[in-house]
Amino acid sequence: MSRRPRYPALTAVLVLAASASHATDWEVDLDARMVSTDGRKSIVDGGLGTLRFDQGQSGLRLGRLRFALSQPLGDVWSVRVDASDWGDHDRNPVDLTEAYLQYRPYPFDGFRLRVKAGAFHAPISMENRAAGWESPYTLSYSAINTWLGEELRTIGVEGQLDWLGTRLGHGFDLAGTVGLYGWNDPAGSIIAARGFSFDDRQTTLFGRVGAVGSGPLRAMELFHEIDGHAGYYAGVEARYLDRIVLRALHYDNRADSAEFDSVRQLFAWNTRFNSAGLRAESGTGWTFIAQYLDGETYIEPDENYLEWPFRARYALLSRQLGEHRLSVRFDSFAVQSSLPNGAGVQHGHAWTAAYVFEPGPHWRFTLEWLRVDSSSANRALEFGEPTFARETQLQLAVRYALGPLAR
Amino acid sequence: MRPSARKNRHAFPRFPLVAAVAFLVALLKVTGALAAATIVIAVQSADGRPLPGAVVTLRSTTAPAHPAAPVQAVMDQIDKAFEPDLLVIPVGSTIAFPNSDSVSHQIYSFSAAKKFQLPLYRGKPYPPVHFDQAGLVTLGCNIHDSMLAYVVVTDAPFFGRTDTAGSWSAEVPRGTWRVTVWHPRMREDGDLERELMIGEGDRASLTVRLLKPLQPAPLDERHRSWDVY
Repeated sequence: MSRRPRYPALTAVLVLAASASHATDWEVDLDARMVSTDGRKSIVDGGLGTLRFDQGQSGLRLGRLRFALSQPLGDVWSVRVDASDWGDHDRNPVDLTEAYLQYRPYPFDGFRLRVKAGAFHAPISMENRAAGWESPYTLSYSAINTWLGEELRTIGVEGQLDWLGTRLGHGFDLAGTVGLYGWNDPAGSIIAARGFSFDDRQTTLFGRVGAVGSGPLRAMELFHEIDGHAGYYAGVEARYLDRIVLRALHYDNRADSAEFDSVRQLFAWNTRFNSAGLRAESGTGWTFIAQYLDGETYIEPDENYLEWPFRARYALLSRQLGEHRLSVRFDSFAVQSSLPNGAGVQHGHAWTAAYVFEPGPHWRFTLEWLRVDSSSANRALEFGEPTFARETQLQLAVRYALGPLAR
Repeated sequence: MRPSARKNRHAFPRFPLVAAVAFLVALLKVTGALAAATIVIAVQSADGRPLPGAVVTLRSTTAPAHPAAPVQAVMDQIDKAFEPDLLVIPVGSTIAFPNSDSVSHQIYSFSAAKKFQLPLYRGKPYPPVHFDQAGLVTLGCNIHDSMLAYVVVTDAPFFGRTDTAGSWSAEVPRGTWRVTVWHPRMREDGDLERELMIGEGDRASLTVRLLKPLQPAPLDERHRSWDVY
């Protein structure tokens, strides 16, 4: 399959911004971290640790340097671009995490259509609801959403039809979403090789995950088309006022698992899953979130069928008191394997506790404690290490946001 | 508000000018139903607490309907919110949407009483919108989903909103009145309706209590005119 065009969204933004009559809204965020951790070598460095930072990375780190742009194009069209520097040795120092054109025509008789075209996150996460797909509750995302940010991106088109019941005198809204996409055939390779992990590093569109080298833990480029088949997802959402949100989604990248890109040494991983999520908020500052994801990924090298079923869930409880927010999350995750030696088998659980102080639109201070107990067959198979690891990470984050979008 | 009203009622017999009172009583008997009286409507939530911000309208069941005179109202857009967030206007009135924000807005309504949409660019005002049909109009912004406002277009001669004590009053001619009550957070389908007759007295009051608990308030911390205290 042909290589995808480079920087199409950026070119579009530059052309459209030059001709647009509406001002561009922008934001620049700098997120600096003080990290103390006993984590094993992290995924980014080619290891099987489950945290973003490992032992050697304690100290002052860059959490994220983010550039966001929102450009209205008339009444119903807009362009959004999100680029980040994650402070590690990615291929490009600053690269796109999302870039898309949005069409939002006026509602008609209680219905509203929303169409996105470009590269963006599928509407699955219940916690990544802040700008830049961040979580307002914790620094590190849950196992489910770390994986989604790591391996998945919709590079294609998504349509959502909303029924705006709350604008018609009812207490609830309903929505249906369908996405069609390509350039995500390697998705599944990381969960099979390394399992679930806990971080807030979203793979960039032209970047990679892991350390350059060879072997099963080498750096992966996830956003390539290998077999020419489009993938899809279809989901539904129900909202009761602004209090309760329920989501369910079926995802299948429809990759031809027998295909192999010999130039990049990439398999087409057929990855499919079902996900469900609930978010409930009280008028007294309490938030409860639960998400569940259950699926599998498989490849068929030389007519061998190799399958890795995976399953993860979490529950998060958060309390906001004015400018202060306290959150606790429990994650449970498991990856199985059809391989006789159990390669890729992983299971574990994690506790996350975070305190966020946000005194205004510009400053945010977060203290997060994260402990992951995990067992990974690959630790023994690849490195001859014990399969079990208990990793703890303490982070203090100071973020400063600048620009009209930050207000 | 209500205790002081009760105090006034006790104070009234102590008014010294007995002769004047006698004269007024005689006059009232002559003018009969034409004389005005005070009507006081108290609105309560289902748990008996005063409900501020409720819309009250009065229509006569005995005399022909004369809607109030149309007005030229303004609903601004300030800090990504409609200001005010609820307007009660007579049929035939207009509303201007000036947009004082530094960001662009859009306004849409698909309510049966008035369907329209307006792009509101910065500093580019649109002609006021004409509301020629009675009913409830719900307004939203296609760009900012949290923006929500209501326009109650009424053909009633008397209307208003309850104050922070959940009370509203008006001077109205004697007769029988149909009282309707509506509140944005009410779960009842449509308005609550009651009838109230003003006969001999110069003051009539009615307490309207909602039957169902209110819907939860929106979660953002913005103050709304229909907040319950």
